[in-house]
Amino acid sequence: MLEVEGLKKKFKTNVAVNEVNLYLDKGESVGLLGPNGAGKSTTISMISTLIKPTAGKVRYQGKNILKDPNSIRPILGVVPQEIALYELLSAYENVKFFGKIYGLKGKQLEQKIDQVLELVGLQDRKKDLVKTYSGGMKRRINIAVALLHEPEILIMDEPTVGIDPQSRSYILDMVRKLNQEKGMTVLYTSHYMEEVERLCDRVYIMDHGQIIASGTKEELKSILSSEETVLIEVDQTSSAMLDALNELTAIQQVTEAPKGYKLIVSKGANVLADVFSLAETMDIKITSAHVEVPTLEDVFLHLTGRKLRD
Amino acid sequence: MWAVFELQWVRLKRNPFLVLSFLGLTFVFVFLLAGSQADQKMTVHTFTDQLSEPQMAEWLDLLNDSDTLTFQQSDREDVVDLIEAGRISFGLHVDEEQFHYLVGHQSHYQIAVDQHVQRVFQETLRIRQVAEQTGITDIQGRVEEALEQPLMSIDVDALKGDASQADAERFHVVIGMTLYFAIYTILITISSIIIQKRDGTWNRLILSPVKKTKIYLGHLFYCFLIGFLQIVVSFALFHYLLGYDFGDQFGAIVLVLIVYVFSIVALGMFLMGLIQSPQQLDAVNPIVATGMAMLGGAFWPIDLISNQMMIALSRVMPIFHGMEGLKGAILFDQGITELLQPLSILLLMGVLFMGIGINLMERDTKI
Ligand SMILES: Nc1ncnc2c1ncn2[C@@H]1O[C@H](COP(=O)(O)OP(=O)(O)OP(=O)(O)O)[C@@H](O)[C@H]1O
Ligand SMILES: [Mg+2]
Repeated sequence: MLEVEGLKKKFKTNVAVNEVNLYLDKGESVGLLGPNGAGKSTTISMISTLIKPTAGKVRYQGKNILKDPNSIRPILGVVPQEIALYELLSAYENVKFFGKIYGLKGKQLEQKIDQVLELVGLQDRKKDLVKTYSGGMKRRINIAVALLHEPEILIMDEPTVGIDPQSRSYILDMVRKLNQEKGMTVLYTSHYMEEVERLCDRVYIMDHGQIIASGTKEELKSILSSEETVLIEVDQTSSAMLDALNELTAIQQVTEAPKGYKLIVSKGANVLADVFSLAETMDIKITSAHVEVPTLEDVFLHLTGRKLRD
Repeated sequence: MWAVFELQWVRLKRNPFLVLSFLGLTFVFVFLLAGSQADQKMTVHTFTDQLSEPQMAEWLDLLNDSDTLTFQQSDREDVVDLIEAGRISFGLHVDEEQFHYLVGHQSHYQIAVDQHVQRVFQETLRIRQVAEQTGITDIQGRVEEALEQPLMSIDVDALKGDASQADAERFHVVIGMTLYFAIYTILITISSIIIQKRDGTWNRLILSPVKKTKIYLGHLFYCFLIGFLQIVVSFALFHYLLGYDFGDQFGAIVLVLIVYVFSIVALGMFLMGLIQSPQQLDAVNPIVATGMAMLGGAFWPIDLISNQMMIALSRVMPIFHGMEGLKGAILFDQGITELLQPLSILLLMGVLFMGIGINLMERDTKI
């Protein structure tokens, strides 16, 4: 439905987005994952026709939207990273105004306002001025405003930044419902791994303006399929044990972990037996051992050598 | 467009303080400036030793025929007290066919007063002399009668009609201050565009099906109306509360205001195009408003300035032409046809600023 091809944005000398390719199919929920400054917001702004790309194309249903922005604008719902609301107006007035400029009127408008306020759970505070809201409430109204005209594609730029876990969970559930029950196509930007894992079918991982990996969650994790992480806990740690573990050929890397060790091993190699017998000879008791399933965080770490959030 | 327009009023209603305060400031400044000028009508304490009440009243009546001086009857003792207390520098002593001063210390006012008093005395005494010689008692009345129905009259029109100097000064302050504070209000109102661009609400407007031109129009029309209303309300208050007479050229006044406000709104767009960050606004607004008002002659008449460059500079300030237009309509009773020059200059400036301004604003985001 939406294709992005060779998208590039240069700010003076700084290349914020470089040769980005991505696509959205109808009804999909797609994550765009990357650390601060990766170029996520810039990419999204170009897709939603707010800034002009230095190079590249964005096509909606085969048509280049850069030539005709109005072909895509009405079906887009954009939730900006920064709260974009009129602080001196109430939630109700904000939603109503943005509904009006989307051409909604009268009864239909009132109905829609009721629906979205219900959806974001702010019916009871709707008459209060936005400036009196908490961060989480502002975030929710920020989303509500983008939903009023029932967009086909919902683009969300880090909609949960800086809010409490409850509000966050509420928002995630809401987006999931919109995607699964209403069939809304979602492009979800975040640097929270857990959110993207919970919400999205497919993921693009972005760093330094480039897409460094993409695919379904499973596909991405299989990047790590040649290795596994094994966590063991022991009753007492010792440097002799650490050295001995390093000696084992099946183990590629050993690091100290709380109350034990973290082992990176080749997939399929049965190291546990070796580790247990080693412990026995050194008179150390292994209190727990488990094989970790890789997360997208691990994938990112693997690809860039950096953590997603520092 | 109307939704955008309406929104601005709701926002104003929530935070009317700024706009109202500029209206308030207009008044404060006019009171301070115009008020102090009105007070410059100087009081001369006048007393007599020999004259009877009616005789003295006659003299005072004659002396008080002045725009700048008031002669007030006092007693000799009171005048002496006031002089000794340093409250006044001199008093006027009038007697039959002569006058002199009781002087505490020299004052340059005394020269002006003396000129006036001498003239009045000479005229009056001459008329009395003629009356005595001819036996006609009512010389004064006859002379006046004759002047009212002259055999031959010479009209001496001042170059610019019939406004008195005092009127011109009073109105200069009122018009100047009103137009000056209107610039403030308009610039601050229009800067809401920049603020919305920063806080992201502008992007929301752009993403909506409303055309960009209509979004701008909604905002600009609102700014226009705010500026226009501020001027109209302040003129109305000056008229109804302080009795300023704005003359009969109502249509011309309104038309000058319309093009003036339009040119300032356009200038605002131009400035918003130049600055891109809202932080710069706080500095730019007062500098531009005050600078323009000074150079454009809102604070003092530009006729007082002889520097050619300053004069040339004043001509590119919309406020100068706004003042010319309004003074023409209010003081010199000029109609629309006579005001075509300031009107068309303001319109031209408006169109130019608006064109350049919109292009500057959109230079980054053209899509
Ligand atoms: N208007 C701009 N002018 C100049 N540079 C910009 C502009 N907008 C973004 N950049 C730069 O482009 C790069 C990418 O920024 P972007 O906001 O797209 O990152 P992001 O992935 O959204 O980060 P975050 O998670 O912090 O929101 C950054 O280096 C940023 O400094
Ligand atoms: Mg961002």
